Amino acid sequence: MARAVDELTALLGDDRVRDHPLDQHLFAKDAGLRRGGAPIVVFPESSDEVAAVVKIAGAHGMPIVARGAGTGLAGGAVPQEGSLLVVLTRMNRIFEIDEVGRTAWVGPGVVNLDLSEATADRGLHFAPDPSSQSACTIGGNVATNAGGPHCLAEGSTVAHILGVELVTADGSTVILGGEAPDTPGYDLRGVIVGSEGTLGIVTKVLVRLTENHLDAATLLMAFDTIEDAARTVSEVIAAGVVPAALEMMDKPMCVAVENFVQAGYPTDAAAVLLADVLGHPAGTAASIELLSDIAVRNGATSVRVATDESERALLWKGRKSAFGAIAQAAPDYYLNDTVVPRTRIAEVISKTYEIAERYDITLMNVFHAGDGNLHPLVSFDAAEPGMTERVVAAAREMVTVAVAAGGTLSGEHGIGFEKRDLMSSVFSPEDLDAQARLREAFDQDGVLNPGKVLPEGSRCFDWGPA
Amino acid sequence: MGWVTEWAPTKVELDACIDCGLCLPVCPTFQLTGDEAASPRGRLTAMRAVDEGIMVVDERFGEIMDFCLQCRACEVVCPSMVPFGRAMEGAKAEVVAQLPDARRAFKRSVFGRALRVRGLVTMASWMAAGAQRTGIAPRLPGLLGRIAGLRPIPIPVPSTRGRTWDPDGIPKGTIALFSGCVMDPWFSEVHVAVIQLLRTAGFRVVAPEKQTCCGALAAHEGAAYDAADMVERNVQAFEGFDTVVVDAAGCSAHLKAHAGGDGASLAARVVDATELVASLIAEGSLPTIDVDRGPVAIQDPCHLRHAQRIVDEPRAILRAAGYQPVEIDTHGMCCGAAGAYQLSHPETSDELGRRKADQVRTTGAKIVASANPGCEMQLRTHLDATVRVAHPVELYWEAVSEARVIAGN
Repeated sequence: MARAVDELTALLGDDRVRDHPLDQHLFAKDAGLRRGGAPIVVFPESSDEVAAVVKIAGAHGMPIVARGAGTGLAGGAVPQEGSLLVVLTRMNRIFEIDEVGRTAWVGPGVVNLDLSEATADRGLHFAPDPSSQSACTIGGNVATNAGGPHCLAEGSTVAHILGVELVTADGSTVILGGEAPDTPGYDLRGVIVGSEGTLGIVTKVLVRLTENHLDAATLLMAFDTIEDAARTVSEVIAAGVVPAALEMMDKPMCVAVENFVQAGYPTDAAAVLLADVLGHPAGTAASIELLSDIAVRNGATSVRVATDESERALLWKGRKSAFGAIAQAAPDYYLNDTVVPRTRIAEVISKTYEIAERYDITLMNVFHAGDGNLHPLVSFDAAEPGMTERVVAAAREMVTVAVAAGGTLSGEHGIGFEKRDLMSSVFSPEDLDAQARLREAFDQDGVLNPGKVLPEGSRCFDWGPA
Repeated sequence: MGWVTEWAPTKVELDACIDCGLCLPVCPTFQLTGDEAASPRGRLTAMRAVDEGIMVVDERFGEIMDFCLQCRACEVVCPSMVPFGRAMEGAKAEVVAQLPDARRAFKRSVFGRALRVRGLVTMASWMAAGAQRTGIAPRLPGLLGRIAGLRPIPIPVPSTRGRTWDPDGIPKGTIALFSGCVMDPWFSEVHVAVIQLLRTAGFRVVAPEKQTCCGALAAHEGAAYDAADMVERNVQAFEGFDTVVVDAAGCSAHLKAHAGGDGASLAARVVDATELVASLIAEGSLPTIDVDRGPVAIQDPCHLRHAQRIVDEPRAILRAAGYQPVEIDTHGMCCGAAGAYQLSHPETSDELGRRKADQVRTTGAKIVASANPGCEMQLRTHLDATVRVAHPVELYWEAVSEARVIAGN
């Protein structure tokens, strides 16, 4: 390892190679619960440097894990012990913006919201908006196929990535996808998005930019029961008006958030829905009316419409601070990420409440109701003996309930370590084997982010070449 | 070995952080480096590792803590409301206690000891005044070169301590003035503006003799015991005053945060000059001048905006003076002065200073308002002489006195 450090230092300089135990400790974890370990951390600043780093790691037999801002929740960027951690935050240049074609080439370290701010004066933005958008990087968005409230109407990250520059496991650099609407050959861009750093390291991203909307309004609707709120969601979608975003928060969540932002979230309602309607003023006015009618018909106790930009921003700040705000309740949290059919939201939520009660844990809910992407959130103190195990067991039951209701494991956070061993609950051995063979095609020796996404034994059928 | 002082970060403070990372983008040092070890979350993780006995306070720990500007921008965006500034002061106290080295000992003697010795401050001021008058100031090397950011220091070196100013009529109350350590000799015009405005509003102003430096710089450099002594002395000096006005944001933030505890808490009686003047304008005790004086760029001192969440008041004061406040930075990024930081990390400080100066230049405004002496010096160092740097209260007082002269004529 000392040789690897020397070679990396010769390449990057002292300042961009770290191996002090304290640095190792700081980079051993993301925003989730699990801790790994990386003996060496490097900060490349260009695609060439990444390629050279990958070659050095290969020569010393070190696995490689890429990391952005470390806001992930599924452990995707948590290095397996002994890995070389490649931090991409310094690759944060916006190379070019094509205003007419509405695309941009950006570094993987560009912060999601910074890209939208940089293109705002051209009337454009990058549509995927995870709650961590002020901090998370585009590279991480690509790795996890990140979602966000506004992905209901706009689609998740995969719909906004046209191409990537990728450094492969052997250190060569390739371009996958491109500016053409439908690039010839296999859609390898689509394969890379959501691959969590297991197929290569993305060193440049060609993103699709979306036009800013002429008019916007945010509705905050309060309900006495989660069922009323859930029925409203189903009816809104069935009515054919897809709001830009449609989010639900339960009572404990509203209380925590209101304590931080004082945005006027009701703290006595069982559930609130937060909806964004965007578009032409005539269209938004009609949508507001329709949404309000449906909400009231389904028992909404209040409907507040924010058209003023600062009031809208405050309401959304509340929603996007939810995950941090729960720390007021206890020092640790575990955030689940499951998807269920919209028609079964109320039923699945009430089952998760039952599970929480059975395990005696504090549960809050904040989620993308419009696309059925649930985020049961458990607030706890890991210092309490046996607590973490209890929380993880409860979370697994919540996933099982979602899957049994016709849902799936993960909406947007990725699989990482967290959901890896649950993959077999939604995929057959044949399915997993197909995925494992794809991975082998990119990374024969399994050096890229090992131990993530696919459970051990995925490659259970010996169908490959002898 | 863990912690060794009573100031150490506490488990409650550290446990409040849940690693969400929302603090990263507003942290100036993370922005410059993209480095977890230079982020609030990374620093808290390092503190927690020591607290849990996984790591020790070693040179690398010290380096990581020393690289923090202590601007507290992270506190504003933290949904878990981590008291980061307090925890960092504790960590710095630990670094000083556990890693005695010459550089830190020197800083401690300057900020923990010398600043409260008036004779030393006055002597340094005479020397600086001399350097300004002989013209060698801009050519001084290293640390001494920083005096290029100072206003011209009057000779003899002025002091407000032990003095009283009465209004024209019967006083409607008494307000104590916090004189500060270097505010008195180096920024006397700001004191004059505050005193004259309070007199105009009908108050008697008293600057108690026995007060001393607030201790903010000492606390930021880990000289926690010295800082506590200074706070104690100020608590005694300001006993009996209902309102204590402080015209340096770093000092008002520090006194509000630390001079608490007892029943007649000084912290609760401290008010920043921008808050006080803005409220006197709002209630009509001070005038609103209806003259268009043009644009003024606003620089928010971190310890005004992030530590005290005072944002509207300086803008209201400037508008009342007839200026149009021009925003330079939506997030209120630190200018890099950060108290003693500009001395210990000149490269980082200069980089942030250049960025801030560029933001000011982009507005085209020929005046920039800043309510803190450290920021003022930093701005002056990085801007050329065509841009004036002044305290918002000072700009307002000029407008008020000018309006009076016109009215008098």
